[in-house]
Amino acid sequence: MITNNKEPLLEVKDLKTYFFTENGIVKAVDGVGFKVYQGEILGLVGESGCGKSVTAFSIMKLLDYPGKTVGGEILFKGENLLRKTDAEMRKIRGKDLAMIFQEPMTALNPVLTVGFQISEALLMHFPISKDEARKKTLELLKKVGIPMPEQRINEYPHQLSGGMRQRVMIAMAMSCDPILLIADEPTTALDVTIQAQILDLMSTLLREFKGSLIMITHDLGVIAEIADRIAIMYAGKIVEYANKRTIFYSPLHPYTFGLLTSIPRLDLEMKRLNVIPGIVPNPLHFPEGCKFNPRCSFRTDRCKEEEPQLIEVEEGHLVRCWNIDKVAQEVKKDLLVGV
Amino acid sequence: MADSLLKVDHLVKYFPIRKGVFRRTVGWVKAVDDVSFEVYEGETLGLVGESGCGKTTTALTILRLEEPTKGQVIFNGRDIIKMKKAEMRKERKKMQIIFQDPYSSLDPRMKIKDIIAEGILTHNLLNHRERYKRVGELLEKVGIPAENMDSFPHEFSGGQRQRIGIARALALEPKIIMCDEAVSALDVSIRSQIINLLKDLQKEFNLTYLFIAHDLSVIKYISDRVVVMYLGKIVEIANKKELFTNTMHPYTQALISAVPVPNPDYKKERIILQGDVPSPANPPTGCRFHPRCSKVMKICSEIEPKLIEIKEKHFCACHLYNEK
Amino acid sequence: MNRILRKLFSNATSLIGIILLIIFIAIAIFAPVIAPPLSEDRYIIPRMSWDIDPQPPGSPMSDDIRDIYNYMGAEIKYDRAIFGTAEGGYDIFYGLIWGTRTAFKIGLITVSVSMLIGLFIGSISAYFGKWLDEILMRITDIFLSFPFLVAAMVLTTVLGRGLDKVMIALIVFGWMGYARVIRGNILSAKEETYVMAARALGVKDNKIIWKHLLPNTIFPVLVEASMSIGSMVVTASALSFLGVGAPVGYADWGQMVSFARNWIIGSPGRAGQYWYTVLYPGIFIVLFVLAWNLIGDTLRDILDPRLRGEL
Repeated sequence: MITNNKEPLLEVKDLKTYFFTENGIVKAVDGVGFKVYQGEILGLVGESGCGKSVTAFSIMKLLDYPGKTVGGEILFKGENLLRKTDAEMRKIRGKDLAMIFQEPMTALNPVLTVGFQISEALLMHFPISKDEARKKTLELLKKVGIPMPEQRINEYPHQLSGGMRQRVMIAMAMSCDPILLIADEPTTALDVTIQAQILDLMSTLLREFKGSLIMITHDLGVIAEIADRIAIMYAGKIVEYANKRTIFYSPLHPYTFGLLTSIPRLDLEMKRLNVIPGIVPNPLHFPEGCKFNPRCSFRTDRCKEEEPQLIEVEEGHLVRCWNIDKVAQEVKKDLLVGV
Repeated sequence: MADSLLKVDHLVKYFPIRKGVFRRTVGWVKAVDDVSFEVYEGETLGLVGESGCGKTTTALTILRLEEPTKGQVIFNGRDIIKMKKAEMRKERKKMQIIFQDPYSSLDPRMKIKDIIAEGILTHNLLNHRERYKRVGELLEKVGIPAENMDSFPHEFSGGQRQRIGIARALALEPKIIMCDEAVSALDVSIRSQIINLLKDLQKEFNLTYLFIAHDLSVIKYISDRVVVMYLGKIVEIANKKELFTNTMHPYTQALISAVPVPNPDYKKERIILQGDVPSPANPPTGCRFHPRCSKVMKICSEIEPKLIEIKEKHFCACHLYNEK
Repeated sequence: MNRILRKLFSNATSLIGIILLIIFIAIAIFAPVIAPPLSEDRYIIPRMSWDIDPQPPGSPMSDDIRDIYNYMGAEIKYDRAIFGTAEGGYDIFYGLIWGTRTAFKIGLITVSVSMLIGLFIGSISAYFGKWLDEILMRITDIFLSFPFLVAAMVLTTVLGRGLDKVMIALIVFGWMGYARVIRGNILSAKEETYVMAARALGVKDNKIIWKHLLPNTIFPVLVEASMSIGSMVVTASALSFLGVGAPVGYADWGQMVSFARNWIIGSPGRAGQYWYTVLYPGIFIVLFVLAWNLIGDTLRDILDPRLRGEL
């Protein structure tokens, strides 16, 4: 739900993050831009290697050598995060800006209790006593639906199941009431019934805290449930950016279209799955012109030479493609939704 | 009704839990606990369930890559559990498997032509020249140009490696292939390539698939019949259409409702299960699903429901239907 | 393979190691030219004089010795002790040059045999597991519990003096490390899916060990082996120093150090007088071990990025 607030909470402009490896420069994120408004959920969708996780780490300024943000702006509440010092970022991280990671087992410290790890953030950002932090931690554990929190608070991550650990991560992330949460594939490693629980929990908490969320995933089903606006990424760039209904009912980029028609789904009888031929390109050897062109069934000669820009083709709908008319025709022919 | 190609009969696989200096067995992980089903020639039987349900262990036990604790596996009329090692080795030609992880399922130090030819070599089926000719044919069949046969696995992408794994499984001309989460580790845009390939190969070679997955959407697309497992037991078996239109077991219903659908307007019954999946080392009494079931009755915690044919070819293990 | 060679030559430390090794190999091969032998058995170190105390570098051959050799009909190609003589007039230079051959012999033989034993025991222990693994590992533990040097000493004393007995002792007490390393590697490789895939094809157990497990696990063992070559030579030298090992007068680095035993301190008032008895053998031993260590280190570094999946 997009609120009245005109200024975006987070505005990423032309973000460029490169990795300087001994084999060459990997342009993991190459000119990415989007806006997140208060109370909104942005879905960042793409497959492995498209740059979505690197985007998240760039926003959080958690990049490690050899990665470096080399260009662009990240405006959070109007201030450019890229200009901030480490000390300033530490005040923001965990408090206003929080992140949930994909693998709860590796994101949690195995030798510290769950309670300690949640209280850590609280004690860092608020001038409260240890007892008060513990009380708040118990409340948080209850809120994220962990049964017997008085017992769990003293347990270690390995004593909890995957779903529980993810709840702990959510508790940690939400402990200081952040206004923007970034979730990097938070449910990919979980069973589908647990995933449903976690997504349900996240929606409830966000509604309650009036927070915003950037949801990073490759799962279009999850995105359809939770997101308001969606950015599709491929090879370090955004190829399509629109609201949810537009993406699912009238996409204009061949990659989006290919994804939607190639995944099996419960709501449709599919005679045959569409196929996106080829493989995700090697980031050290990106193709000339449009990065998607070798796999694209709509490609023309222009696509092999010139890389299209991200253009607003209708209000709120941006696409990076030379042949959107052809795609639009194909979309009309193919039934995307409904038997 | 046609005779089944594969019949799994009261299959049990327990893993011992050992503790202490002398490694005493203090308990058992009941990974597969009295599982019975049949697979008919030419069909794709989907085996679906979440982690810990025992689906992969079932497949490995059927192939005797794990030795079963109890039970029979009748393949082509003969119980392969009772076979001696040498005889079983010969039988393996007809039952093959494709693994989930394209990265660890191929020996990184072998050329792919040798990986694919290994089975043929082991069973001495062809001479040297014929062997590699066949490797070339198999590679073309799975969509990899044969001139790459001298390359190593790390030179290929995940999807291509999975194709190589498929070629390896086909090399021995099996009758049945277990697909153990064969597409789960692949990128979304690659999955449809492999799924379509598997379907085409099935038609061409009259293969039978036991397709294991946790993704119900894939199961729905590719299966003819579906077996749903929970915590080592089968809870429901039905034809694909029947399973999704007349779902019986509460777990199956919850599973179906939990699957996210790429459709913003999709309305579904929201069944959110409470709690976590219990440990297979300590399963609940009676019906294993009862602690999380929204329709639980008193009898469910006491007596384990049997898998009964409720409608024609539709089996369910639930007390809700037993009364009838 | 090419990558390994390339990496080996690109690193400064490994380059030093390789150069040193090449020098030693050259010394070993060209020993007859560098230090022409004066007797039938080339490994007997010629004596430059009958003096008990060591003579400084450059000392000429004493006349009575020269007479003896002339009488025996040996060609005297050189007659100065370039590095000096050790106790008893043994020529240090000759001993070190021909000792290089001995060092290679000791190092390569003991390491390869103990590696083979260790590989065999470790791999069947890991692959078949259960009680076989328990028994073999307990045997390994028993062998490991003996302090290496002491055990080798005892064994050589029992077996008698001689370099071959030294090698036997080194092998008997040296295979355990390899067994453990290969066992650990195979235990983890065993769980790899490609091993299960081979079983699913019907491949026999011994073929699986030979074709799949060993090639994938042997590299760390080879690294350890190359590092051990140096330490085996040092241990053999230590045994010689202690009096067991090579017979007196045999061209062996340990022998040379053993000769220096009484002369390390020097004479009263002139400390370090006999420095050449210690320094020259010391340099040879140190550089030899260093060469193998540097190469082994680089091999290990090459291994790591490969393990990370880069191959």
